[in-house]
Order: sequence, then C-alpha cells, then structure tokens
Amino acid sequence: MKIDLRLTINGRDARFEVDPDERLLDTLREKAGLTGTKKGCAIGECGACSVLLDGKLVPSCLVLAASADGAEIVTVEGLSSKSGLSDLQRAFIEEGAVQCGYCTPGMLLAGEYLLSRYQRPTSDQIREGISGNLCRCTGYTKIVSAIRKTARRRAIRRSGR
Amino acid sequence: MRAVGKRVRRLDAEDKVTGRMIYPSDRVVDGMLWVEVVRAAHPHARILSIDTSEAEAVEGVVRVLTARDVPGLNAFGIQIQDMPVLCDDRVRYMGDAVALVGAETRGIARTAAKLVKVNYEVLEPLTDPEKAMLPEAVKLHPDGNIMHQGHFNKGDIELGFRKSAVVVEGFYQVPMIDHAFLETEAGVSYYDQDGLLTVESCGQYVFRDQTQIARALGLELDQVRVTAPYVGGAFGGKDEITVQIHLALMTYHTRRPAKMVASREESIVAHTKRHPARMWYKTGASKGGKLLSVQARFISDTGAYASLGGPVLNLMMEHAAGPYLVPNVKIDAYAVYTNNGFSGAFRGFGCTQACVAVESQMDRMAHRLGRDPLAFRQANVLHRGDLAALGYEMKLKVGAEATVKSARKGKLWKSKRRLVKDSTRHSPSLAPYIKRGVGVATQMQGLGLGIGIPDYAEVELRLDRDGRLTVYAGTNEIGQGAYTAYAQMAAERLGVPMERVAVVGADTATTPDSGTTTASRTTYAVGNAIIMAAEKLELLKANAGRSEDLSARATFHVPTQDVELGDGLPHLLYSYGTHVVLVEVNTLTGEVTIEAVEAHLDGGRVIFRTGFEGQSEGGVAQGIGYALFEEVMFEKGRFLNTNFNTYIMPSSLDVPAAIRTVPVQVLEASGPYGAKGISETCMVGVTPAIMNALQDAIGVRFTRLPVRAEDVLFALEEGRHED
Repeated sequence: MKIDLRLTINGRDARFEVDPDERLLDTLREKAGLTGTKKGCAIGECGACSVLLDGKLVPSCLVLAASADGAEIVTVEGLSSKSGLSDLQRAFIEEGAVQCGYCTPGMLLAGEYLLSRYQRPTSDQIREGISGNLCRCTGYTKIVSAIRKTARRRAIRRSGR
Repeated sequence: MRAVGKRVRRLDAEDKVTGRMIYPSDRVVDGMLWVEVVRAAHPHARILSIDTSEAEAVEGVVRVLTARDVPGLNAFGIQIQDMPVLCDDRVRYMGDAVALVGAETRGIARTAAKLVKVNYEVLEPLTDPEKAMLPEAVKLHPDGNIMHQGHFNKGDIELGFRKSAVVVEGFYQVPMIDHAFLETEAGVSYYDQDGLLTVESCGQYVFRDQTQIARALGLELDQVRVTAPYVGGAFGGKDEITVQIHLALMTYHTRRPAKMVASREESIVAHTKRHPARMWYKTGASKGGKLLSVQARFISDTGAYASLGGPVLNLMMEHAAGPYLVPNVKIDAYAVYTNNGFSGAFRGFGCTQACVAVESQMDRMAHRLGRDPLAFRQANVLHRGDLAALGYEMKLKVGAEATVKSARKGKLWKSKRRLVKDSTRHSPSLAPYIKRGVGVATQMQGLGLGIGIPDYAEVELRLDRDGRLTVYAGTNEIGQGAYTAYAQMAAERLGVPMERVAVVGADTATTPDSGTTTASRTTYAVGNAIIMAAEKLELLKANAGRSEDLSARATFHVPTQDVELGDGLPHLLYSYGTHVVLVEVNTLTGEVTIEAVEAHLDGGRVIFRTGFEGQSEGGVAQGIGYALFEEVMFEKGRFLNTNFNTYIMPSSLDVPAAIRTVPVQVLEASGPYGAKGISETCMVGVTPAIMNALQDAIGVRFTRLPVRAEDVLFALEEGRHED
C-alpha cells in the first residue's frame, strides 16, 4: 500500500508516494534528493537528520513520512536564499564551526530553532539547544560561538542600529 | 606571512553549510544495487555450510556472493592480510562478513540477507587476552594468538629501583572505544566510461584501498580507481578496508553500480576500534626527583584480526616512558588475538593508552616526592640529544619542556588555588559536597609512519595562465582541515591570493600518491612536497611566457631515524603537549563536570589557526569521552552497545565552554614553515589530565576507564583514597 503525501519543502510544494513505514528522512534523501539531511544513527540520538517541521525541530528519522502530510519542512538546503547564505551559515564559516561537516546541517537547524525561541540566548541555552546534536570533530566550542554571534547580529538588526 | 598562520576560511565550508557537499553516503548512481552484508551470527564458530537459495529466490535480488566468488586473495589487512573478504570456514568476531546480497532496493537486500542460511558449529569465544595467550588456548590464527610482541631493555632497571627513593606500582585498564564518526561506512561502485572499476568510498588512503581491492579481485592496479576526497569523519576508523572490497566485488560480478551504507549498529560491530589494554607499571625516582627506572608490561587486545595491532603496540612501547628521560627501562608487550571485535588505528595510536598509565604514574610519583606535578615533569623531560626510552637519540628539537613551561605560566595553573575553592555557582547547602581539582598531563606523539614503512608524499601544482593555482594531493579531507592548510602553504610560497587556490584530493586517477591521511602527518609531509613543487614551478615560471599553463610535481620523503627497532619503530619527529584540566565532582551524585581545559600544544608552526584550535577543541571532547563515558561492552564476544542510545559520547553539555588552546610553536627545521602536526597530540593528554584532576579533587586514584558517576560514588563510599 502506498500513501499519497503532500509536503511543502523549503517553500515548494511536493508530492510523494510513500510506504506506511517510510521515515521522513528517507523521503527527503531518496525521493526529494535532498541529501543535505544526514543519517547518523536512525534512532533519534545524534541529530544529524534534524529538520524543521512546521517550525519545530525534529529528528526526521523518527517521523513517519505519512504523518507529516501537509507539513512545512525546512532542510539545510532551504536556509540560503538567492541572495546568498544565511547569517547563521556565514557565522558557521567565519567561526570555523565546520570540520567534517556531517553534523553541520542538523546543527544549523538546531541553531535556527533555538534562535527562534530565544532572541538573546545565553551560552547555557545554546548548549542545551544543540545538546541533541552530536559532533565528533569540533568539541562544540566554535558551533556555540557561531550561534552566539548570529544572535548578536540579529539583535543589532532588530534594534535598527 | 600573508596566508600561513591566519584564520582563513575553510575551502570546503560553504559546501558543507549549504548541504551541497556530496559525501560517499549521498552518492546515487543510475541503476545501482543496494548491497547488504550477512554478518556472523556468533563471535566464534566454524561455518559448516551456507545456503543462499532462499535469498536468491526473493524478487528483486540480483546476486548473492560468498567466499567462492572472491576471484583473488580472499583476505585483506593493512599490514598482515589475515581478514577474509568473505569468510569461508570460520568466523572470528560478530562483524565478520559471510555473504553479500545485491538487490534492487535496500529493503529487499535487507530482507534477503536474513534468508541466507549459515549452518555453524559454535565454538567457545576467547574473550580474555591473558587466557588467549596461554599455550593451551584454541588458536584463532595459524601462528597462535600472540599476534605481535616486543621486548626492550635499556640500562639496569633493578639497579635503578634499588637507587630509587620512591617506587610506585600501578595497574591500568583502558576500554575499547569506537571512533563514532558521524558518517557510517559508505560508498558506491561502478564501471566508468573507460571500463575502470571505480569505488567512491569513505577511506583514509585511496592508493592502499586500490591495492587491497585489486588484490582481492585479482585485478591489476590500473583496472581499479578509488576516490572520495570528503569523508564524514574517520579518526583512524576508516584507515582499514570497510566497504570498498565488498562494493567492488558486487559490481565486478553484476556489472552494475552498487551502493552500501552501514547502519550505526553495523558500523560499531564491524569496523576497527581503539585497542583495549592492560598496563602494569613500576616507576622509580631518586630523592632529588629524577626518574631512574620504568618497567612496563602491556597486553593489548587486538581482537579477531591484525589490522594495525602490531604498529599500535609498537607505539605503546615507544611512548611507554612518555616524553621523559629515563636511564633504565624494561618493556614487555603483547598484542593478542581474541574474539572481542577487532581493533586498529585510532587517534593517538597506542600513545593514547600508554599516556593514561605514564601520566598517572608521574602524578603519583610527584605526590609521593612532595613535588609540584608540573615542576616534576619539567625536571624530567627529554631534551634534544637525550636517549629516549628505547635507547635512540632525540635528534630534533624537543618541545616537551616548552609546553610544560607554557602550562606553568597559563591562567588555569596559576589561579588553580582560587579556582579549586570556588563553589560560588552552587547553593550554600550543596557547596560543601562540591569538590574541585586541577590535573595535568604531558605527552609526546610520534609523527608519520616511522622507520621501515614507506612514508612519502607526492603532489602536483598547476598554475593556470589566468593565475589560478590548484594543488593535487592524494590525501582525504576527513574533517581535519588539511586541504585548507595545503592551500595556505601553496598561496604563501607562490604569492597567490587564497581565493585563487583550489585543492583536488584523494583520487587514484587524478591525484598523486600523497600517502596516508593518518599519523598527524599530512600538513608536514604534503606541505613539504608543496613547497618543493612550488620551487620547481617558480623556475618554470621564470623561463615561461605569460600565456602558459604550468605544472610541477615533487615528492617529499619523511625523514627517519637511523636505527630501526621494528615496524615503524622509532620515529624521528614528535609533537608535544601539556594539558591542564579543572574538574568538579558532586560527591552526592558522583557526577563529574569538566570546568575548563588549557591545551599547550607544540605542533611546530601553526598553519591554519582556526583548524588548529578546532582540532584541539575536538580532541578535548574525545579525551573527555575516553575518560568519563565511552566503552564498547561485550558479553562473551557479543556487542552490548551498538548505537548512540547506549554508546554514550560527549554532547555539548559535557564539554566545557572554557577551552583555551595555546600554540607553543617550537619551529621544526624540517617542517614546512616550521610545522609538524597536531591532530593526535591534542587529544591524548586530555584523558590522564582528567584522571589526575579527579585525584586532586577527591583524593581517589582511578586506574580503570571510563570513570562513570557510579564509579566515583563507589570509590567515595569505599574510601578508596590515596595520599
């Protein structure tokens, strides 16, 4: 049995035929061709597959694709726009938050999600916010710096200075 | 300098933050089969028969392969080829591959893999390396279970102990741990338009992978191409063959493209690990605080197959007395086959294990002698011209003392008295139960592959007429940032702006053989070759017209010692480091928090400043994991924790915000711009520094890793204190 699935991915409508037990992660990687979303553990522990689903951070390996019908999904491919990289992506580059890069897409989405919850997150809030995303290369230091820098830049922009 | 030493942007960062970077696991090839491996059902068993008929009958299954389908040598291994590509008569660990299923979808391949019927005669697994060493133990390999051993004697240890005012004995046990690279083993294979059998797979040395594939398939080297520059983490765990031969074999037999991606469970079971080790130490020093004797005995559990178990044991021996001058040394070491998974290369490569014991012993000695731990280390460090533990001369500049001095001047060490008493974060009712401590460790790490193992790097530079420079180097980008360092050195030497430099890596068809992406060697070895090629290019440029494309190649051979003591033994070149760690222990819960780390690292000249710090910060995280969390656990040869819900590694909440990395740049005359390497030194000292900090905090000497909260509580309840 196949299920008809409608999603809005990175602002575009898309339709898929999915199996009842298909994970959103596999739909994104294998059917939508969006391989920026990574598979690290497939049990919701590492966060490499994190995406935003209706604005909430979820491990897409634990979401049944069919259950996401009608949802708006943001993946790493949706973070940059025609005008270029997002401020968070730029901060990741500037701060040296990227090494092997396999955790990076999930980290960026975790970063976006926590910046949507806190306008000026503390370091503890940032660490808490990315604690569901494992990184084996960086020790997290520069990832935290990149998120903090982005929060600061956004605050300045908001205050119109 | 314009490029070297700067905080430049990583060349690959934009592709990685946009999701555009294609890793081996992301590759899709038209018409590809999914390949699943049928792995051993028992850690030790004889294979009586394999029936693939039921699996072959599944619709969508294209081919099932077993040992009889391996056309060449049915064995691989970096050093000794003792590991079957597909097992035919016996399995020796749970990760052993018995059959391969190639099917139209992954789901079909998985279903069919479960239908391959293997009839086993189950054998008792060997799980204790000391028992496996006994003559009556069942042999896992024809030459017995002692895969490798080494014995060294310098001076007269007994005399040294007799003269010693203080003698400390200790027994240390370190666990097996997993690399836990975030991208599991993955790749694709296909015949390209020229009929070349191509494997795009995770790895750390495409040229050796090419050799291993060709040998197993009975092909010539030039019939096989291996590539995939960008890999989602490795740390040594992708040095040995993983998916490469299996992929090539499926494509060889079906003529179709194939893809493999290991599940996390399969990854943890199948690939190499950090060797678990048992280490017995006896250390003696004079009343004046000079080391006189070190006796060490190691048993390293190499698991089912050799991989790099021999060289890892060699490095344990080479670093058995740490970066210290010891006149009398005796070392006896064994690497033993068992049915506990299989072990191989992992960041630090034997130094990691030895350093846990050496630096614990050093702290105990300092304590007994009433010396400051850093002053005691400084009084004993090796200097240029000294004889190292194994009796050869330290011929190059030794940075050990410089890192100790830097640590003594560092903020953490200087303010430790205040920091240790500071419990202001906690409520007055909790504060009395909070204990803090500061610990240190000093370390040296052999760089490169050592004498007796070919260690060279060839590179090619191409300068287009429009001024674009491309570096062709055959190493992998496994996260460490070496390609960026290559570009910086090339830009610096030729005066080309960084924006105009590109790096093409790891492809047997298009890049020269630059050697392995291991042993902290790439910046040093490839960097030297880049400078040599750049010099040639400048000569060409002087004689060429403006509108010519120019290219030059050069090969750098890593210099070696003139004494040879065994495979890769010893090294000529070393990196050095001293780590200072502040820990906090909640004595009510046993919880340990790492509050701050200072890393004083001598990797020679720092080329890529951001990458250097990033390596150090990542090394701190891995060192914390080794000290406090990580252990691959077994029950009778069966893995107990094979995913991240039970194999626990540090998250952002376990790594301190306060990590300060201090470059101690003892410039190395043979290095490019004075550079050596850093990628292992930055991790190795962290673990024993934590152990020493725990001793400082609660007066308990832990000798078995990992130290979990329950271990802390038990130790406190038992009153297992040490003066």
